[in-house]
Amino acid sequence: MSAMDPTEVFRQEASELFEVLEGALLDLGQRPDDRELVDSAFRALHTIKGSGAMFGFDKVASFTHEFETAFDRVRKGEIKPTQELISVALAAKDYIRALIEDPQSTDDIIGEAILDDLRRFVSSDQPSAPAAEIAEAPPLAPSASRQAGWHLYIEFESHILRNGSNPLDLLEDLCKLGPCFVVPVTDGIPFLDELDPEDCYLKWDVKLHAACDKDAIDDVFMFVQDEMKLTLSPLEQVEAPAPMPLFQLLDEEPVVAEMAAPVVEVAVAPVAVQPAATTEPKAEVAAESKREAATARSQEAKQERGIATVRVQAERLDELMDRVGELVIAQARLTQLASTGSDLSIKMIAEEIERLASSLRDTTMGARMVPIGSLFGRFRRLVHDLSRDLSKPVEFVTSGEDTELDKTMIECLADPLVHLIRNAIDHGIEDTATRAANGKTEQGRIELAAVHSGAQVLVTVKDNGGGLNTARIRAKAEEQGLIAAGAVLSDHEIHQFLFHPGFSTAQTISALSGRGVGMDVVKRTIENMRGSIDLATRPGQGTIVTLRLPLTLAIIEGLLIRVGEGRYIIPLSAVEECIELTAEDERSRGRNFLNVRGNLVPFLRLREIMTASGMPDRHQKTIIISTGETHVGLVADQIIGNHQTVIKSLSKLHSDVTIFSGATILGDGTAALILDVAQLVALAQSKVEKQHISEAA
Amino acid sequence: MNDGLAGEHQSGAMQVVMIGLGEEKFALDAGLVREIIDPVPVTKVAGARAFVPSVINVRGNVIPLADLRIRFGMPQLDNSADTRIVVIELELDGEPVLVGVTADKVYEVTEISRTDVQQTPRVGMHWKPEFIRFIAKWRDEFVIVPNMERILN
Repeated sequence: MSAMDPTEVFRQEASELFEVLEGALLDLGQRPDDRELVDSAFRALHTIKGSGAMFGFDKVASFTHEFETAFDRVRKGEIKPTQELISVALAAKDYIRALIEDPQSTDDIIGEAILDDLRRFVSSDQPSAPAAEIAEAPPLAPSASRQAGWHLYIEFESHILRNGSNPLDLLEDLCKLGPCFVVPVTDGIPFLDELDPEDCYLKWDVKLHAACDKDAIDDVFMFVQDEMKLTLSPLEQVEAPAPMPLFQLLDEEPVVAEMAAPVVEVAVAPVAVQPAATTEPKAEVAAESKREAATARSQEAKQERGIATVRVQAERLDELMDRVGELVIAQARLTQLASTGSDLSIKMIAEEIERLASSLRDTTMGARMVPIGSLFGRFRRLVHDLSRDLSKPVEFVTSGEDTELDKTMIECLADPLVHLIRNAIDHGIEDTATRAANGKTEQGRIELAAVHSGAQVLVTVKDNGGGLNTARIRAKAEEQGLIAAGAVLSDHEIHQFLFHPGFSTAQTISALSGRGVGMDVVKRTIENMRGSIDLATRPGQGTIVTLRLPLTLAIIEGLLIRVGEGRYIIPLSAVEECIELTAEDERSRGRNFLNVRGNLVPFLRLREIMTASGMPDRHQKTIIISTGETHVGLVADQIIGNHQTVIKSLSKLHSDVTIFSGATILGDGTAALILDVAQLVALAQSKVEKQHISEAA
Repeated sequence: MNDGLAGEHQSGAMQVVMIGLGEEKFALDAGLVREIIDPVPVTKVAGARAFVPSVINVRGNVIPLADLRIRFGMPQLDNSADTRIVVIELELDGEPVLVGVTADKVYEVTEISRTDVQQTPRVGMHWKPEFIRFIAKWRDEFVIVPNMERILN
């Protein structure tokens, strides 16, 4: 496989960083005091800037740099991140994303406007900041001490010149950060006859008198950092301006560390901060070295984790899954063959391979699983923006982010969830006045949760709004001629009309919803993933939409049945129970209803649907399947048993056949079709309705 | 309509796989053909259109099995020792699709020349003209070059 386009790699990496950045910014809106969030936002920004410059996204780099600079005061703790500031920062993030993904669509003017906003918010907060600062966060005060600057000892590897790097350029860049006092260290230069003109022997000792960040210095050396040694220590103002050999500096550090404890105490007292110019840098050193040790440790931990993960193209995983699917099929054939023979050793090998194949299958499926949290993160922005646009304050709560789902499924879930969340905010949550009148909190609440439930994952979107207006849905359904006026329907059945194409009860069409496209698309998308969707509502208390999804799209547990000569698979997740068709049920040919413990369950004769030839078996079996609350019986000739079903999609030429959702390959190598439960239930219900109509006529 | 002659050369010669359906001979563009296999057990698909009545398993893929004889209104013969399945790959709506085609006999892979191409006669044909790309001459016989995309759509 060919190497990936580096620009593409950058784009991918950037899109992940944007997620981190957005998440951090949104969290920051909720917890403005969390330093960790500011730092993680900054890290993301910084990486985008660095790799942006590396891959030639100069606009990205320069804009991000400006963004970073403006936001730096937040990082220093000088101002608090307000909601407005977060909104502008989010806009800035979107702008950077646009610069990367579609540079044509962007305009420098927009970027400038965003930066202006950003700077305005950052500086307008200034007057109130210092007071609040000292009162609320005294430990942050030492940031002022950065004025002192830095002492750098720079030692390049001898081959640095051969790579085309120019140390002088780097030093010049360094000088741009502030006034520099640069002394070359010449003791590494050999005698002339030993000197290789292509090697670099010089080292530099630099004192930088500037209030810049350590990151700013790292930036300068970003591209050569693997080929150099950079020793960085905060500058002490008492120090003499003469060049100081490194070892002396190193010798001093233990002394500083010993002093750290008492000095920190002094620094915490706000009064002591300003005058203590001489002791202060030492406190800074201690704090800095402690902080650095902490970050070093966390970075180490991160690196360890980094080694344990490998980026794999999704197609490769798909291919792997296909191979495993074939292996499972071949293994089923082997098992079948071994069971007919009498060779014990072959049977043992078959069992061994069966065990291996099934664990390989589980591992491969596991490799395709991604936590759903990556998806949830996207909606926080959606909720944030919608809640602002509709001026409905909404609290957004997510849970179960680490629930894992097949990667392809996560991608398919994004659009349906956007619809559901929009609906919840637009229609579900009432406006503030109505909420107050009903004795609810002004702030609405939307919960997005994912949880494992057997072989399924349940994703729920829950709001605490007004609930569904059953009467209005009913009126609308009658108006559209979907039901006869006065027909007896349960609330649950009425709510199903929401999934009808073109059905909308919203009285005005807004930009967000009301066009009546949406819920039917949601339902179709979910059903295409062999999932189902359920609505539950309580007037005045809210609505819960539950999506039930299979764990994976590739392999399911199936029930293998025989109808005539054909064999079919029913997804086991839909099977409720299997019962024998009694002679009494058999007789009542006109009415296709079963009596299951007092409940009437319509049934379908699969022999008729599949146009099976030959005589039916004497004892017909009924498999009760369900979608949501609806139960339907399927009558088959024989129930063969469980079957690990590797799903193969049907080709385009069979796309008009709706009762099958796919096919699989059985142990003997023949293809078997997988029944589409939702379609069969719909078919049974339409039959029941027809029967009603013909009875009524 | 794009002819998409993968097996066509500059000279106008065209590589084809000659198959027999009933009494007729058809020339399938060799560029479409992926493989020729012996008959395998078929699985009937209830409710499918008559010319794609079933699916088969070809190397772990479930692919539809088309019956051209139904499209051309010919009687269906039982499988004989000569029956083969020709697996072809077509572009349907921009996506490649594998389809098996039942052939009563597969003769040979050969070249037919564009110069031998005959205009499809307007009369004397009981088949829909859109199913036929053209009629060519091969060893003093007329053979039909079918338009597989149209037949299967």
